[in-house]
Amino acid sequence: MILGANLKEALTSLTTAKQRTILALIGIVIGIGSVIGMISIGAIVQNEALKQFKEMGIDIITVRQDSGNTGKGGSFRLDTIRELPLHVKDVKEVAPYINSSVSYGQGRKTEGIEMMGVTETFFRINKLRIKEGRQITDLDENRYFCVIGNGAANILRKFGIAQPMGSQVALGQRIYTVIGVIDKVPEGGGMRPYGLNNAAIIHISTAKRTFQSPDINVFLARVGTEQKSAQLKQSIGDYFTFKARGLRVNVQTAEELIEKMQAQMRLFTLLLGAIGSIALIVGGIGVMNVMLISVTERRKEIGIRRALGAQQSDIQSQFIIESVMLCLVGGLIGIILGTFVSYLFAYFTKWEFVVSYMAIILGFGVATAVGVFFGYYPARTASRMDPIKALRS
Amino acid sequence: MPLLVFEDIWKSYQVGPTVLDVLKGISITVEKGELLAIVGPSGCGKSTLMNIIGLLDKPSSGSYHIEGEKIGYDDDRILSSIRNKNIGFVFQQYYLLPRLNALDNVGLPLAYRNVPKTEIADRSMEYLKRVEMQDRAYHKPDEMSGGQQQRVAIARALVGKPTLILADEPTGALDSSTGQDIMNLFTKINEEEGVTVIIITHDLKIAAQCRRSLKMIDGRICE
Repeated sequence: MILGANLKEALTSLTTAKQRTILALIGIVIGIGSVIGMISIGAIVQNEALKQFKEMGIDIITVRQDSGNTGKGGSFRLDTIRELPLHVKDVKEVAPYINSSVSYGQGRKTEGIEMMGVTETFFRINKLRIKEGRQITDLDENRYFCVIGNGAANILRKFGIAQPMGSQVALGQRIYTVIGVIDKVPEGGGMRPYGLNNAAIIHISTAKRTFQSPDINVFLARVGTEQKSAQLKQSIGDYFTFKARGLRVNVQTAEELIEKMQAQMRLFTLLLGAIGSIALIVGGIGVMNVMLISVTERRKEIGIRRALGAQQSDIQSQFIIESVMLCLVGGLIGIILGTFVSYLFAYFTKWEFVVSYMAIILGFGVATAVGVFFGYYPARTASRMDPIKALRS
Repeated sequence: MPLLVFEDIWKSYQVGPTVLDVLKGISITVEKGELLAIVGPSGCGKSTLMNIIGLLDKPSSGSYHIEGEKIGYDDDRILSSIRNKNIGFVFQQYYLLPRLNALDNVGLPLAYRNVPKTEIADRSMEYLKRVEMQDRAYHKPDEMSGGQQQRVAIARALVGKPTLILADEPTGALDSSTGQDIMNLFTKINEEEGVTVIIITHDLKIAAQCRRSLKMIDGRICE
């Protein structure tokens, strides 16, 4: 039978039984919608996480002292870290830092502020932008100056300091002068230390004098591309084994972190997709149900068509086309709905909205597959009907 | 060569423990161009006979030839194709598809032959004219009277240029004057197109208008 005629037939049949069609559509819309929504949200989250790397560059590594060292008093010495670029050529710059949380405010109303002791290089490596004032330099050694994050500035304003820049603030038993404010940085993921927005950044020498635990456990470094990462890790490891009496270190490159994150993302997307698929299967069963009803209701029509010479395959394709059409219409609405939901997600998280074209193509593909799969059994039932019994019904 | 040859056709049904013979050895020969009535009271097996002639059912035993070809019953595709090309059905209840207009209903048999759309429309219209239903081409079946629907059904049976029109109680649902119109149409088709018409009926007045009529009683033909 001509495909065009079949399509027209399917359309008339679907529009004639509106209520039934709408019920089946809802199922498939929710199914496809949730798969697309989930995958699109996954794509938005991944894009956001990768953005941090795009912004910071992937030439950054994090070096931690291995957890196996703790308790033996093994921690980095500031000068050992600072001399690392002299011994390992591919390390261009290092930025050691230590941190400690303090609470700001009085009584019950307090807010947490992250104190960070850093060196001059910290700002450059983390690509921090100064909004007001200036950054900490190595000339600020032992001085009680701090540069605060955007969030920390807001906390200060909340506690009545209308102009945080230049003000004197009490942080963990000391009074610091705010000499700069940095722009907001995106949170989460990436190589940046956590909590920069709510941080008060001071010089590392000041931090070592005032923090309760002044050990340096971690530093960031900017590296070149001359050495492969395995070689680089080896060189850094050797350096500390030699210089710091067997101190073992753990080097993490941006690449590794990206890979790890992408693997996690895949798992996350897969999980979300699987949840959506359950809805899709339920929707598909709805389609099958509706198609079975349609076949039963149209027994006489099937009998007439068979008497007029329709092949079993003609009847089968007629019903499969109807079911696929139903699923494609549902799929289209579902894709629109799913994309809209992911847009809302992006809107409320204030993350960048990305359309996952993969998800859209997948959506149409899955809709067709659901139509064929769940339409097959009803269509086969229809095609195998005995023409005489069908006519008599 | 005769159009149809029935040789000792039996049809039996298993009803519980007993075997019920509906057709008991029917042998008929139908020549091309005949206008034949098969008459009999209800329950005599004439519907079963019609289903077997129309290839909608298969006999329990016996052989059936159409234009010299023996019918094998194992390939549904061949049976469907013969129904489509060689046989035109007219039913008591018209059996038009309610969602399609008259023109599309008439075109259905051609649609299963991959005839191009425009040609289907042209030929359907031609046959609607022949049964004087061209004014109703774009009406749906429920907007037509019984007699009009039956005319459309006859156009549908003719559109594929079959060699045989098989009509099962075609006037059974119509009043006598409309029924007579339909009968006249069959006579006209038979004369003008030379197509063989087999009418199955319980109405002796209808049978009397056919050139040949076969009486069927209790699964047997008594000429």
